[in-house]
Amino acid sequence: MHKSLFNIILIVGCSLVIFSGCDNFLDKEVLGESTDKNYYDTKYKLQTALNAGYDILQSDLFNECEWRFGEATADDVWGGDEGLASQMGQLVNFRFTTSNSWIADRYTINYKGIHRVNQVIANVDKVQLSLPLYGEYRSVREILGQAKFLRAFYYFNLVKTYGGVPIRPETETVENFVIPRSSAAEVYAYIEKDLREAAIMLPARYTGVNAGKVSSGTAIAYLMKVLMYQATPGERSSKWEEMKRLGEFFIDGNSMTYGDILHYDASQEDWEALRQRLWFKPQELNQPTDPYETKDTQLPALQNAYSLDFQDSYGMNITYLDQFTGAGEFCRGSVFEVVFKESADGSFGDTNEGSSVYDNHYSSSPQIWTTQTIMQDLFGTDPRRTYMIGHNAYAPDGTICVCGESRSVSLKWYTPIKERPQNGGDNGKNRRVMRYAEVVLMYAEALNECGESTRALVELNKTKAKANTITGATTLYVGGGYGYMRDQIWKERRMELCYEWDRFFDLVRQKRAASVIRAYGFLRANKRGYYFREGVHEVFPIPQNEIDISNGVVEQNPGY
Amino acid sequence: MKTIIKIGLSLCISLFFISCEDDSFAVPTASVTVNQQEFAINETMVIHFTGIAQQVSIYTGDDMHNYDLRAESNTGFVVNKGLFTYSYRASGQYKVVCVASTYSDNAAETRQDTCSFVVTVTDDVTEIDKLSCSQVVYDEVFADKYPNDEWLMVLPRKVKYSTSSLAISLSAQRLKFYIQSDSTEILVDGNPYASNTRYNLTNPVDIQVTSNYGTVRPYKLYTIYYPEFETFTLAGVAGTVVRTEFDYSYFEVELTLPQGTDATNLSPEFTLFSTADQVYIGDTEQQSGSSVVDFTQAVSYRIVSTSPDNPAMQAESTVNIKLTYQ
Repeated sequence: MHKSLFNIILIVGCSLVIFSGCDNFLDKEVLGESTDKNYYDTKYKLQTALNAGYDILQSDLFNECEWRFGEATADDVWGGDEGLASQMGQLVNFRFTTSNSWIADRYTINYKGIHRVNQVIANVDKVQLSLPLYGEYRSVREILGQAKFLRAFYYFNLVKTYGGVPIRPETETVENFVIPRSSAAEVYAYIEKDLREAAIMLPARYTGVNAGKVSSGTAIAYLMKVLMYQATPGERSSKWEEMKRLGEFFIDGNSMTYGDILHYDASQEDWEALRQRLWFKPQELNQPTDPYETKDTQLPALQNAYSLDFQDSYGMNITYLDQFTGAGEFCRGSVFEVVFKESADGSFGDTNEGSSVYDNHYSSSPQIWTTQTIMQDLFGTDPRRTYMIGHNAYAPDGTICVCGESRSVSLKWYTPIKERPQNGGDNGKNRRVMRYAEVVLMYAEALNECGESTRALVELNKTKAKANTITGATTLYVGGGYGYMRDQIWKERRMELCYEWDRFFDLVRQKRAASVIRAYGFLRANKRGYYFREGVHEVFPIPQNEIDISNGVVEQNPGY
Repeated sequence: MKTIIKIGLSLCISLFFISCEDDSFAVPTASVTVNQQEFAINETMVIHFTGIAQQVSIYTGDDMHNYDLRAESNTGFVVNKGLFTYSYRASGQYKVVCVASTYSDNAAETRQDTCSFVVTVTDDVTEIDKLSCSQVVYDEVFADKYPNDEWLMVLPRKVKYSTSSLAISLSAQRLKFYIQSDSTEILVDGNPYASNTRYNLTNPVDIQVTSNYGTVRPYKLYTIYYPEFETFTLAGVAGTVVRTEFDYSYFEVELTLPQGTDATNLSPEFTLFSTADQVYIGDTEQQSGSSVVDFTQAVSYRIVSTSPDNPAMQAESTVNIKLTYQ
């Protein structure tokens, strides 16, 4: 045979064998590999997916964005990074562009959290129960309820920062990457629905090894806050009215049913269908001993689950300041905490620890300091003033504060000696996000807005009286007309909740951010805050990159 | 062969110099497009950079961003991806300057080109969002908005604060205006408004808001007191008016009658601070000394006060009668 012909036959023959073989090989499934289709088949795997949703709360970037937007941009602090050459400096001066990196980071990290919990919510129905027991359904239901809360929490962060944002589908596909913005009202409605459903799916409060999981109490506290952000001070509305009813349930112990909190409407969704969607055990599978939840079932009572008393989770007395230390983690006054965990391995970086959070606020080189104004003008003789500590002053356990000459920081971010990790990067102290004191003050504000100032004064003085026990002081707030009561409630909010990263958003929802922040700008040598533009800077711009990659489908906020 | 080598060498040398020239940096060209050149307050200005540059910055021309004052700490905004958006908070004409820069390796040398244009920002806000008496003892009392740019302020005659009751005068009250724009001019009865001036609100007050653009909008503010009984006497016993610190429109009259008094058919005698005030139980008007009331049941009076200058401006109070017997 001719040599060339032989070679051609050989090559063609081998190719046919190889290519036909590849075809079958590629069709085979890889055994034992987890995919999004088969992963979520047990409640344990669903729990790991939920853990990923909580994980965002522990990340450095999430917490960095929390204090930079919630605290650093407002009037209670000044910082070491206020020069116009840095992204942070431009942010706090309100002289940023739509490409500011912190504005992009806050947007991204909260959507990252949403994406993670959406996978829990979208895949929950893939869970196979080994036995159709009531407790098994409850376990899955509680995972789903926590995911719903976290989704609401992340969207709340977005809507109060950017206004209306795109509501991402629970299942992402390549066909639906670009989603237009929903209105702020639509986003708030979406948040409310998640919080209302979480409230009926979760127990009143987790304790013991489960402490730190979000609960029905957390969901209802945030529902009150979300309603407050939608209401306008001085204008009667159903939002204030519902806040009042929730406060009566949470604090006064009035009853509230599942139907009440859900605003259940039988014409919109069959009750049994709703139960099954939320992983209540289906009626047809119920055993005689299993409870059956109806729309008239009472929500778990919260009145005794939380308290203004300075007590730890065991009911032992602690100090006011311990509410913010390791000794007071999950204390009676704590509604929602970001749980950090000490690894004790000396590592630095984005782990489960909160070292950077604390170093940024209480260290020899913090990022922000308290203003002298708040110490002198606001606190006056209030006992809580002593929890602002100046350079070279002594912390309660005798350590010297070194935070810079003539500067002060808040002891809320102090880690006592006995709780300090052996290695600097391992701080496992939890961050308090929502405290019961805020629930009481929200209730007081709702009462005042509903024309019940007498009751509002009672609630307002609860937190003041509790603070008075620090030194035995007796000064209380006195009654007055609507405006006077409102101002006193806002003053107490500022004192009790200062340096907990909520001041900026509180000013915005009170509709006075421009006047307060600009007035603060006049006091600062660099005029930071003076450039706040009313009607524009109450919300930050949608990150420019989001506008660009959506080809303009995602529209920018007015004024940017 | 030698000729070929010579030509080859010449080409190499030429190439060397040409490539050296490529190492130098480009000449910048500053040019931009802007969506419009007349804006309202907070309206977005969109600038696209269309020139050549390695770095672009824009001076917007307003406070601290004035290109002419760049040597005095005024700064521009760095443009990202050729797009810059901005809005102005005060009216005026602003010179917007775009600076396009290129630079050599290690920024040893820079070149700049600039272009500029002028934008006009107009402020035509005349809307009063809220209006208040900012210092009624410690309270801020807000007025109600009525059609036709009329406002009604209702103040208490006295404010209970802690253990004392302090009289409130209509003739000396501070006013506070909530208007979106900082540039509006406000005249109160023809005089420029000042936040620390105490105004006489006894008679209707003419308020004139002039926008920075020049639009003039007149408002009228009426002020009346919450109505209340000046005296209230029942069966010869004078009552005591009790006010609450929380609600200026709610009063209680406390009376202690002799034991055995028949309270089923009594005609209370009362006086009011204004003859224009009217007293009702439900919808039935009550006359002092003649209207008969059964005080064995809970009695709640409704008093309506009307501004003498505008019958549409009314305030209403509730007075509950609290009877005890000796």
